[in-house]
Amino acid sequence: MSEDDGRVVFEPKIVGFLCNWCSYAGADKAGGLQRSYPPNVNIIRVMCSGRVDPQFVLKAYSAGADGVLILACHLGDCHYKEGNYHAMQRHRMLLRILSEHGIENERCRFDYVSAADGDKFVKIMNEMVYTIRELGPMDRLNCWSDNKLKQGG
Amino acid sequence: MKIGVYFCNCASNISDKVDSQRVRAVVGSLEDVAYFKTNELMCSEDGKKFLHDDILEERPDRIVIAACSPRDHEKTFMRVLSGAEMNPYLMQMVNIREQVAWVTEGVGRASTKASSLIKGAVSRVRFHKPLHRKSIDMSPDVMVIGAGPAGLKAALTIAETGRKVTLVEKRPVIGGQPALYEEVFPNLECAPCMLEPILNDVLHGEYAGNIELLTLSEVVELNGFYGNFIAKIRKTPRYADLNQCIGCGDCIGVCPVDVKNEFNNGMDNRKAISLSFAGALPNVPFIDMKACLRAKGEDCRLCEQACPLGEGIIRYDDEETIVERHVGAVIVAVGASLFDAGLIPKLGAGTVADVYTSFEFERLLSSTGPTGGKLRTRSGRTPETIAIVHCVGSLDSNHNEHCSGICCLNAFKFNVMIEHRLPGIQIHHLYKELVYPGKEEYALYQRALSNPNAVFTRYSDIDTIEITSTGDCIGIKTGLPETGVIRADMVVLCPAVVPSKDIGELSRVLDITEDMYGFFEELHGRLDSVRTKVRGIYISGACQSPVNIAQAVNQGQAAAGYVLSGLIAGKQLEIEPLTASVDKDRCSGCRVCLFLCPYKAVFLDAETQRPSVNEVLCQGCGICVAACPSGAMSSNHFTNDAIFAEIEGVLK
Repeated sequence: MSEDDGRVVFEPKIVGFLCNWCSYAGADKAGGLQRSYPPNVNIIRVMCSGRVDPQFVLKAYSAGADGVLILACHLGDCHYKEGNYHAMQRHRMLLRILSEHGIENERCRFDYVSAADGDKFVKIMNEMVYTIRELGPMDRLNCWSDNKLKQGG
Repeated sequence: MKIGVYFCNCASNISDKVDSQRVRAVVGSLEDVAYFKTNELMCSEDGKKFLHDDILEERPDRIVIAACSPRDHEKTFMRVLSGAEMNPYLMQMVNIREQVAWVTEGVGRASTKASSLIKGAVSRVRFHKPLHRKSIDMSPDVMVIGAGPAGLKAALTIAETGRKVTLVEKRPVIGGQPALYEEVFPNLECAPCMLEPILNDVLHGEYAGNIELLTLSEVVELNGFYGNFIAKIRKTPRYADLNQCIGCGDCIGVCPVDVKNEFNNGMDNRKAISLSFAGALPNVPFIDMKACLRAKGEDCRLCEQACPLGEGIIRYDDEETIVERHVGAVIVAVGASLFDAGLIPKLGAGTVADVYTSFEFERLLSSTGPTGGKLRTRSGRTPETIAIVHCVGSLDSNHNEHCSGICCLNAFKFNVMIEHRLPGIQIHHLYKELVYPGKEEYALYQRALSNPNAVFTRYSDIDTIEITSTGDCIGIKTGLPETGVIRADMVVLCPAVVPSKDIGELSRVLDITEDMYGFFEELHGRLDSVRTKVRGIYISGACQSPVNIAQAVNQGQAAAGYVLSGLIAGKQLEIEPLTASVDKDRCSGCRVCLFLCPYKAVFLDAETQRPSVNEVLCQGCGICVAACPSGAMSSNHFTNDAIFAEIEGVLK
């Protein structure tokens, strides 16, 4: 929680999985442009959005995240040709799983950010933080506890 | 475990926004963090020396460097680690410049975010394992498939460096499509004059000894991977000795069998033993055994008896053979074909006399063609009007949406060549769009346009055009009220350049992919148009996309460049360690990894029936790892353990 004009503001914890080639570069681009955005998203770099195992997302919620972002190259631009298509499909599957556990779909956002999309990246950061703030903290009691979540690999 | 954390001030870029003391207070007390050191500018020479010396002194097990983006200096610091006797993969960078200092308002907030990210890195780096580049033997030799301009230039460029090139050509002749042309655009250069020096270099030049030319041959199997391919090539017999024959042609005159000459699109006849066309190289005839009397059981030996070199040059006992070649890379340059204009029946291709496709018309214009380059109608008349229809089957959602980019220039070339042969002849250009990119091409268009006897008419839809025989000439209904019916003595259709029919079979043999148009699929349309998704297999020329001769040659040389820089004689092939690997004991054998791999790097081990990863082909994307339901697939450096730890670390 942080104080803003005397009001207590909920500061959500968000984990962002960004692919190395486009979206991570897009985040760097925002940096290069010195565009400020809220610090709530902790970025984890993966080589490809296709590497984002649905377990990573579930793990993030169980470890305390209030929201998860998966950012990929634009369709057709994947450095590995088709990793972002797999990521997109896995995200759809994840939304169904999350719904069944009472986790709002808005808490798991998938989007496309290119290496040139510095401003789009900032927009997504702002929207995500705003959205999760509106939703409030995750109600973990109604979801699952960490020890129930099986770790793969 | 001893973990060292280095914090780079990046001059003041980071330290102005992130307070290293606040970060130290959080990070310095983490389990296993032995020290936290700041440096003014780690990527500077002083900074690198500090890091190098400090690693040697502290001997940490793992290090975390909080600095700029890993896309900037990860490789720099990895080299420092290597120099300091530390495995470069035992380091994790934290991006506190581009993703914290430059984008976060308030020192407090920025320092907190930096601390979180460093906590993630400290958690993760524990799971890092030392990784090593592997190296394997490789062959610097190359197989080039297709002996057109792209393949020939690729073969020559590579052969000049002393490597062996196996040049596989399906036809009995080399030179590709332009070998059949009289002149080429944009400046109506003599095509044989342009090609012959290259063809001769391949056959008899200084480096010809490095090029093994296999004509009438096709690749039937390709196994292995970059650096170590084994190709099986089917050689169909030529029945003439490619090395000893002097190409005098005495054998051809005596042959009693006439068959339609496919090199002139069936517009004249050739003998069962034949040179493809006058001036064809290699200058050695071949026997079309389907047509030869010997295939019908007759013991005809007329060609052999006519040979002035005696027996042994014509070889009736030649047999089909399969040869094997060990090569490090494969360059595919098999060209393209033309859209079958017969698919638009109203255009009269193949049904109305004197309607020709552009390929057929090239042969009519050629001095080695069926009419010796004279323009005559089938009935022997000199044409007074010729119509050229552009955009046949292109720019059309019913056929091909793409523009081939070369047909308009061919049509302008025809315009000039027709005018040279028959001055004053009427020429009608019917086009949908006119396209003439390039620095020299506009002049050719202007030449065609300034022909006082040329008329340019734009049509909107090829389906509105109807070409019929009107007895003494051809009628072209344009569907345009102001144009009405155009009367012509000859019609030239300029069909779209489309993938050749055998591309599908070849892509299956080579295990490379086709794009949505049916051409071979490139790795990247702009940056990597000659690479395929399979490492070590390159594509050049019109089999990748419709191209002109210059572009085809450039691509052939680009592919040669990849080969020369990647496969170096006497050196081993270095393999990046960021690949996937399989735990065979956990694998259930579902094979999902095999289907998902974009690089065909996962294959089924015949013995164990479990997948295995080819480290040469694997690019380390991790798509298979995320999909594996048994957790049997793992990606080096990006293991589940490391990423789970990072997630926990940043949220702690």
